[in-house]
Amino acid sequence: MSEKKVYVIPCSGIGKVFGTISRETAYIVVNELAKDKANLECLPLIVKGKKEVIDKLKANKIISIDGCPLKCSYNDIMEAVGKVDAQFMTIDIVKENRDLKPETSIIPVGENTKILSRKFAEKVALKVEELLERKEEHN
Amino acid sequence: MKKKVGIIACSGEDLVGGTISRAVARIVFEKLRPKNTIILCQPLFMAGGLERYGGQEERDFAKNHPTITIEGCSEECARIAVNKYSGTPSATIYIEDYLAKYPELTPNSREDLGKNGLKLAEIIAEDIAKKVDEFYYGK
Repeated sequence: MSEKKVYVIPCSGIGKVFGTISRETAYIVVNELAKDKANLECLPLIVKGKKEVIDKLKANKIISIDGCPLKCSYNDIMEAVGKVDAQFMTIDIVKENRDLKPETSIIPVGENTKILSRKFAEKVALKVEELLERKEEHN
Repeated sequence: MKKKVGIIACSGEDLVGGTISRAVARIVFEKLRPKNTIILCQPLFMAGGLERYGGQEERDFAKNHPTITIEGCSEECARIAVNKYSGTPSATIYIEDYLAKYPELTPNSREDLGKNGLKLAEIIAEDIAKKVDEFYYGK
């Protein structure tokens, strides 16, 4: 098994629930579904350009999760690190589950938001596996 | 004319201080001073290549309005960003100071603040609301 990790970086936008879904999704991936394979890092710290963080990201795989079309996570990481290996948009999981309208509440997170985040996390976790497999094949 | 006060939380994903900063910003904006504050989205604020991706509105707001940053750790990502792009913030709140001051209100985790973490967030939000009044009403 590769020792490389996949860094899952949500936008964590605070204005609407879509940013919250990105954050909740990332937590489920790194804590449960891809534990030991995926890690988190603070997006503000990446943008700040902290050297050890940037070096760590360059040496590993990166997944961005964005809550709106401005794609802050993707664009910020591209600016700071120069690569993103896979990108996700939370609106996609909302569109795929129209019966699960996310609540507007951000603190606390609503039940539909939690369910959507878990469904989304399952997709992201699959991508984590895929990226690590690709890396092993490449090696 | 009275100027609304911008609230910008670091929202750092990797540590509990980031989650508290986020909760505090929402409490101030939703419950305590909804008419006098605006939440600025940290990732959008920090997004590079503004002409391409958006975000200039957040920076312009902070240039022309009093702005309070909420820092989840000593990296001070929000303060540094505001300082760089919009000028010196009107006030900076450090979550770590409150964690040290209220050891009995230790949050559960970065994923789930729990009752104690939310209580701590309420306390911090009350302090910020007082600062909002100072800036908004010139008290």
